[in-house]
Amino acid sequence: MEIIENKQINEKVYIETLENGMKILVVPKKNTEKKYIIWGTKFGSIDNHFIEPKTGKEIKVPDGVAHYLEHKMFEQENGVDSLYKLMSLGLDANAYTTNDHTAYLFGGTSNFYEGLDELMDYVQHPYFTDENVEKERGIIGQEIGRYDDEPAWKLYVNMMDCLYKNNPIKIDIAGTVESISHITKETLYDCYNTFYHPSNMIMCISGNFEPEKIVQEVKKRLLPKEKMDKIKRIYPEYENKINKKYKEQKMDVNIPIFIVGFRDILKDESCVKKQIAIEIILNSLIGKSSKLYQKLYNEGTIMSPLDFDYEFSDEYSHVLISGQSDEPKKVYENILNAIKNEELELEDFERSKKALYGEYVSEYNDVENIGRLFLQDAIRGINSLEYIESFNKIDINYVQNIKNNLFKEDMSALSVIKK
Amino acid sequence: MEITKLQTNKFKTNLCSVFLTLPLKKETVTKNALLVSVLRRGTKNLTTQEDISKKLEEMYGAGFNCGVDKIGNYHVLKFYLETLDNKYVLNNENNLQDGIDLLLEIIFNPLIENEAFKKEYVEQEKENLSKMLLSRKDNKASYAIERLIEEMFDGEPYSLYKYGNIEDLKNIDEKNLYDYYKKIIKESKVDLFILGENIENIKIPNIKTNLLEKIDIKHFKTGKTKIVKENLDVTQGKLIIGLNAPNTNKMAVSLFNTVLGGGANSKLFQNVREKESLAYSASSSYIRRQNTILIKTGIEIANYEKTLNIIKKQLEEMKNGNISDEEFDAAKELLISSISLIPESAEDMIAFYFDQSLFEENLTVQDYIMKLKNITKEQIIEIAKQVTMDTIYFLKRED
Repeated sequence: MEIIENKQINEKVYIETLENGMKILVVPKKNTEKKYIIWGTKFGSIDNHFIEPKTGKEIKVPDGVAHYLEHKMFEQENGVDSLYKLMSLGLDANAYTTNDHTAYLFGGTSNFYEGLDELMDYVQHPYFTDENVEKERGIIGQEIGRYDDEPAWKLYVNMMDCLYKNNPIKIDIAGTVESISHITKETLYDCYNTFYHPSNMIMCISGNFEPEKIVQEVKKRLLPKEKMDKIKRIYPEYENKINKKYKEQKMDVNIPIFIVGFRDILKDESCVKKQIAIEIILNSLIGKSSKLYQKLYNEGTIMSPLDFDYEFSDEYSHVLISGQSDEPKKVYENILNAIKNEELELEDFERSKKALYGEYVSEYNDVENIGRLFLQDAIRGINSLEYIESFNKIDINYVQNIKNNLFKEDMSALSVIKK
Repeated sequence: MEITKLQTNKFKTNLCSVFLTLPLKKETVTKNALLVSVLRRGTKNLTTQEDISKKLEEMYGAGFNCGVDKIGNYHVLKFYLETLDNKYVLNNENNLQDGIDLLLEIIFNPLIENEAFKKEYVEQEKENLSKMLLSRKDNKASYAIERLIEEMFDGEPYSLYKYGNIEDLKNIDEKNLYDYYKKIIKESKVDLFILGENIENIKIPNIKTNLLEKIDIKHFKTGKTKIVKENLDVTQGKLIIGLNAPNTNKMAVSLFNTVLGGGANSKLFQNVREKESLAYSASSSYIRRQNTILIKTGIEIANYEKTLNIIKKQLEEMKNGNISDEEFDAAKELLISSISLIPESAEDMIAFYFDQSLFEENLTVQDYIMKLKNITKEQIIEIAKQVTMDTIYFLKRED
């Protein structure tokens, strides 16, 4: 078992890669009663076109399959709903689907091993029938309807339309009422058999555990499976340009909401270092302690701090800055101007770095957060402790370099929702 | 000032909170909401938001947060500061002491000019608060819940929106807000909570404050169910139902609520979502200090009658004692488990002990779990018989 330790914050992660290719990460936490487990597969809404490793067959699936599959996993052949079962054990259980992964999880203070039995049972035993696949369509339809009323979600989808022309990140995670009408039990089985192979899955566990012991417990519950070759995923050609500069939609919001997006096409940088640099830049130049924020706040252009987000995978990578304002275009111009013309002072750099360090350390407060963090990062091939390690390696020159090369006006766009 | 220290080694950060508790009243609700946002704008020593933000970042990105909340008929002004534990700082700073000093400075040592708050800050915060009040309808789900509460407690303090109202804002200025501040700093109940691992050796100044007069909850019931329908531009209807629960045996009410709508095994989730596929979400929550249970669903507008009937049927079933052992045990397990998670979250831990002290119950998390374990199914059925449907609120699209 591989062990990675960070002495500064007193945390260790134990990593075991099983013969069948599955990875298990354990982050022991001595002083907590709560235990948390999350089991993820690298299958999200962007994976809609692939070659099945066993048959070599090329498959295209309707939008929203990963999410539909997630919903259907809970239903068992004996009529038991696993979500029901886990909750009746007093465990807080759930599942979710993102652009690039699907995850099944639970946490709680007691009955962990009973929960583990159930989790590993239902995720390894799909049971799809024409009837039960049909029944789910109504529920998912309602869920899609809920998103349709959500201005913040539409705002995001529109931003993706600005930044990309053909990238599958533009697909709504749950699909559309039309696209899910084409999903059948065969579609679900094809995807299950391809993407739910252990070699495509990662499990993260955090709580008061002996790493060796818990890994044994997991191994005991894994069904034997034939080895599988790597899944070949087919994505549209990588785009070096953005699609649109601006998109606006009318919805019932009192104060307009907006996102400013920057495409990131710097391919050869380490993502961890780059992310830290981006956060330092945004915090220093447009964050709460910046001159720009004070100016916009005092003149009433914005009323709360802007939110930052950096999303990336091999297929997409972008920085998002979102907020609320009566004058989104003015905010956009001010952001462009601040990043282009404001100097990053050493004092601001040091202070932002210190603040970020504190924020990263506080991620380790809670086993649930640890589980999610390690899974999300591991899906993209990153070990979460790298973030803490990387702080010592970041200097102001590196950050200046990212500032000058990533935040280009012709790579930026604005999405607005207003009345 | 009442000081409560909660020692725990579960976290890498410490959490300090100050709560100023006042009676919830129409005349002061807007002032309280505005006051909180003015206080965070500047102190005597850190006169701008930029100064405060820089100070927080210097303290390893300490997190400051403030707001208002209503608990029963009390209005609570809340201030939180979360700091990285001294074990993890890089240059031997006393991060916890710095944090407490800053938190108390923001509340008790504000920036004053000519016996008033800074005019510019008060004007800007009035503007922001009024924008926020105007955009209440933007979040349809929370708007529907707030509207149900307004209708259900019409004429009672609890109907007040915790952020106040636009009309009152006009009459507030930097001078009368400061006068009001001086008054409540003396009259409110002030609590300081400090939670963390190494919290013994800290210096806290002596701040004199008052005890709070006790206010009982009196909810006026007509015996009839009030029905309110409102039109907004929504694709999905929000059906919210307010139930009156008895003011006795709150543990049993809490368990009743969990059987009804507390998770995937609950009657609402099973019948509204799983069996009938009417909604993506169907749940209920218990507003303990208000003896109220809220049922919340998001449905297709055409399914209003059908959903309402299914919900009524679930309440009827519980009254008639139709609760299976499986449902009962699952709900109990879920509720106990959620209570046992309280010590795993610093914020929940402080909220729990604050609520216990405010209503003079003074139970520990362990006491609470023990009591819950002893609740029987018969007690739940007893509660079901006393529960009545007070108000139905439906947010829909114009026909």
